[in-house]
Amino acid sequence: MKKPNPETLSRRKFITRAGAVGGLLLTGCDTVLYKPPVVRDGLMGVADVLTMASQRLLLSGQQLVQEHDASEITKNFPIWNQSNPEDEEYQRLRRGNYADWQLPVTGMVNRPTSLSLEDLKRLPRRTQITNHICEQGWSAIAQWTGAPLLNVLEAAGGVTPEARYVLIDAYGGWYEGYDMFDAVHPQTILAYGMNGKELPLGHGAPVRLRVERHCGYKQIKFVKSIRVVSNMDGFGRGTGGLNSDFDFHWYAGA
Amino acid sequence: MLCFVYLLLSGLMIFLQFPELYWGKVGFQGYDAVFKLSDWGLSWEEADALGNRRWGRNYHYLFAWVFVINGLIYLGWNLWQKRFYSKMLPRREELSVKYLKADMKNHLRFRAPTGTAARQYGVLQKISYLLVLFVLFPFMIVSGFAQMPAFTAISPELIDLFGGRQSARTLHVICTVLLLLFVVVHLIEVLVAGAVNQVRSMITGRYVVLTESAEGD
Repeated sequence: MKKPNPETLSRRKFITRAGAVGGLLLTGCDTVLYKPPVVRDGLMGVADVLTMASQRLLLSGQQLVQEHDASEITKNFPIWNQSNPEDEEYQRLRRGNYADWQLPVTGMVNRPTSLSLEDLKRLPRRTQITNHICEQGWSAIAQWTGAPLLNVLEAAGGVTPEARYVLIDAYGGWYEGYDMFDAVHPQTILAYGMNGKELPLGHGAPVRLRVERHCGYKQIKFVKSIRVVSNMDGFGRGTGGLNSDFDFHWYAGA
Repeated sequence: MLCFVYLLLSGLMIFLQFPELYWGKVGFQGYDAVFKLSDWGLSWEEADALGNRRWGRNYHYLFAWVFVINGLIYLGWNLWQKRFYSKMLPRREELSVKYLKADMKNHLRFRAPTGTAARQYGVLQKISYLLVLFVLFPFMIVSGFAQMPAFTAISPELIDLFGGRQSARTLHVICTVLLLLFVVVHLIEVLVAGAVNQVRSMITGRYVVLTESAEGD
């Protein structure tokens, strides 16, 4: 017998609230939950949809990912992809210790807003110790602290009924899209802390996303802005993210 | 077979771009590895240049689905026809030490069965088929799942069962090597048994049985 888990209880509350914010999870048959924004041609697209749909069905309870013990935290967590964006604005913010960093939350939200790092830290916080799984094959465990993306969307008055994706831009030109199913997951957080300290430069200071049911490349670093949209047309090649623009899977639960 | 070739090739393409294996929950370049390709003469950079994980990942998942769907049809059909029971389950007398020894000797001498025995699966053949179908194939699928981030939420117990996702990855590779061995041995056996006759029988159903005397002529 499993002990009743407080996480599970709070999860139920979370989902009810998520429904109110997104209005989306209540309509379980919304196909957006089962396929990427753009389905690739031919059999590859069929396989993509099969994978995403089957995993989403298995994940429909919005279960939490496994969390680990503090003793399991990895020393020398690897740093991949950009580790210090060559971007004038970013470098200026970095020199100012991110005091001027602002996170605009715009698009299909009821009250577009902009949050400073302090604003973000005043939102409810969540700390989780999880295994970061890179599509290359490596994995490492770290503790992440941040504001749930759901709370950030709520700070902008919640999303409108047409909203389907959350698009996050990063300094250095990266961008990545997430659907509401992932956006409202309790462990999807905008992390500003790592292993009890401020998020280090190489790991995406001042803020990176943790979207724990996906591979490493979806954990976008150096977050610059958030836009809520109904589709991905007009962003990059329109596939829903820089990784999928280059033919990696958009849905990266694997 | 097509599936196997593609899964092997795409798996290799993924592996080459991260050619180290670890044990436990975590592992990365610089962490204690249980296997390093660089110890076997191919440096990280050389392997990386040979691999292509973008191609590899796309085709690995595509053919994993083809494999699973094809496998389910095969499984369903053979259960329906009771073929696993009638053709693959070794009979009691076949499992005697004496019988197994004799079959082993014949295999090691590359002596193919003749007469009515040629129409049936040999006992070692039966055992290896059952092992591949009901142990190695499921193991490959499940150890694949244990590497997927979604399964850290769907079924963390599964990942713990393997001792962590890095252990699952390592076992996935070991199981690949076992399957590769099976394929190599299987192909040799087909050659020994007469490739033309075997393949013709698979496609047309016509199978020529050599009798002892015909073989001697």
